[in-house]
Amino acid sequence: MRRALFAAAFALVAGSATAQETEIRVHYAIPTIWADTQKALAEAFMAKHPEIKVTLDGPAEGYPEGVQRLLREAVAGTAPDVAYVGLNRWRILQDRGLTQPLDGFLGDDPAEQGYTPALLSLGSFKGQQHALATSASTLVMYVNPKLVEQAGGSMDDFPTTFDGVIELAARINALGDTIDGVWIDRHDWRYQSLLGAYGGRPMNEDETDITFDSEAGIEAARLYQRFAKEAGMKSYADSDARQALPAGTLGIMFESSSLQTRFEQGAGDAFELTVKPLPLGTDDEASVYFPTGGSGIVMLTRDEAKQKAAWEYIAFVTGPEGQKIIVENTGYAPANSIVVEDKEYLGAFYEKDPNALVAHTQIAQHAGPWYAFPGAEGVAVTDLIAAALVDVTEGADAEATIKDLAETLRVQLGMK
Amino acid sequence: MRRLSIARREALTTLWLAGPATLAMVLFIFLPVAIVALLSFTDYQFGATTLNWTGLENYQRLLGSTLGQRAITNTLLYVAIVIPASVALGLLVALGLHRMTGWAPGLAHALRAVYFLPVAATLVAMSVAWQMVLHPSLGVVNHVLAALGGEPRNWLSDRGLVLYTLAVIGIWQTVGYNMVLFLAGLVAIPPELYDAAEVDGAGGGWSRFWTVTWPMLGPTTLFVLVVTATNAFRVFETVATLTRGGPAFASDTLVYALYREGFVYFKAGYASAITMVFFAFLLILTFAQIRIVEKKVHYR
Repeated sequence: MRRALFAAAFALVAGSATAQETEIRVHYAIPTIWADTQKALAEAFMAKHPEIKVTLDGPAEGYPEGVQRLLREAVAGTAPDVAYVGLNRWRILQDRGLTQPLDGFLGDDPAEQGYTPALLSLGSFKGQQHALATSASTLVMYVNPKLVEQAGGSMDDFPTTFDGVIELAARINALGDTIDGVWIDRHDWRYQSLLGAYGGRPMNEDETDITFDSEAGIEAARLYQRFAKEAGMKSYADSDARQALPAGTLGIMFESSSLQTRFEQGAGDAFELTVKPLPLGTDDEASVYFPTGGSGIVMLTRDEAKQKAAWEYIAFVTGPEGQKIIVENTGYAPANSIVVEDKEYLGAFYEKDPNALVAHTQIAQHAGPWYAFPGAEGVAVTDLIAAALVDVTEGADAEATIKDLAETLRVQLGMK
Repeated sequence: MRRLSIARREALTTLWLAGPATLAMVLFIFLPVAIVALLSFTDYQFGATTLNWTGLENYQRLLGSTLGQRAITNTLLYVAIVIPASVALGLLVALGLHRMTGWAPGLAHALRAVYFLPVAATLVAMSVAWQMVLHPSLGVVNHVLAALGGEPRNWLSDRGLVLYTLAVIGIWQTVGYNMVLFLAGLVAIPPELYDAAEVDGAGGGWSRFWTVTWPMLGPTTLFVLVVTATNAFRVFETVATLTRGGPAFASDTLVYALYREGFVYFKAGYASAITMVFFAFLLILTFAQIRIVEKKVHYR
């Protein structure tokens, strides 16, 4: 009886809207990167699926603000049906039971649709798929070839080890008072990337213990100190460094591959900004992984009809056609293996943009999850990691600092 | 129909005039503060469906942890620099401009507009300008320093320096506002008082200032002090746009910590506790100022 009533009510509501058309509301953030892309995605999707209408919510300024808004809307019961969130932030929504698992929609063979296990790992937790990556970025080196040549280095024979990079950076740094050799942000994600380059992991698999106080983690932290001591790295804030690189006063910068377009525009004709892959700190290449930033998409609606439409949309934007639009418009790397492997989609794009190919190849080879620390203190501890890296950069003993930090995190995260 | 007594009618009018505003205050200020006060005793997480009563734990964490203590001491240090400096500078500038109106009114007007500019401009936009001016290798400040033979500094990323840099920006931003208030106070001083002081033998610049100007500026100074203090305590925009509390929490302040805990970490309970502590500080400071200073203020 009650079901019948509900069904009748639902039919009434649905009937008063346009017949047969399902509307889904989509949330996204960072309009400076995404606004045009989102419009293009929605239009391409609706052209293919006229029975579904996509409405874009007004974008949030950034991913943190976006998650805030989603939480607020969830409390008020006005959450959108589908949302793009930062790859390190969907766990906040999952933690509060807001995301709908996607396993039922994915079918038995996700790899065939281009969702490789590495890509799926970016959005899965405890065996359930809560998010699918929509765009990806990893840490790469941005190099100013002019400065490298002035310092007597060569772009063809660019160092592929951290020792080589430090040695070259020191020579660039010696070029002048206003010239800097190298810079990397003291930040959780950057540290996790260096850690991965040495083959380490921040946590064990079931997330019950911190593991970055291993030899790999200490080496990764020591890099910060060596950059400062041997290559004269300054304690720039990220915005300072992001001005210095395009201005031509910074030789090598470790930064997210998503900034490539912005840096290239900034450098203009002054020099030919070049992207180099991150050096590896270990011979065991299978253990290397680079935590992947970028965005993922989650399904929030609990309504069955809407879920179907939402899945159609998610499948489209994470599929090769949607990915092609995203890559061409944002400079992010794709999160679908078909679009990379099949030249039909992006072959021409890569030919025009060899820098992008470097970054995207690195992701295809070594993509791994950007570990989000579990629980209520999960975001807070990332600031503690950043603070510890400041200490190490300024001369504190790397081993003692990292071991201390790991202990603090274990206590704060309730692991002991 | 019985006519109401005059007293009744007056009471009704009063109620009618003050009532709506009072109701709005209760609804939109007192009630939310009460809710925040309640939340500060819980572990409520933004967006969560449940919450637990944790008593004073949030307050213990804030006052007992190094991070909490640092936010508090940073804020107090910032306030201790910004209040006296911006009040004294504001007064100095106002006195100078007030004199200048006598012999160069045009220039005085132009300078007044210049001093007021930082107040009128949005601080977030100004922060971007500061970021460029203070850039370690490209900024004007370090270039000038180097030209003068000084050592370039990392104004915003040196842990020992960043809070002072922010304090200077805070002073830069409030001097103009304080100046305008002091100027208004100066104009309101009746010239007969200066004549009377001269008759009584206070002819020199200093004695004129101490016997007439300064006492007559009492109410203005009190107001300026209270406003500057509340603004200094609320320091947020510069921290959020220039340093994000860093490096390594060296420029973390109470309001920034409150934003970080509440809206980045989503720990609404803990953020509520910070709000209450912030509120208490502000209340104590304002009361103290009014208590101490008001005794010495002469109202006409």
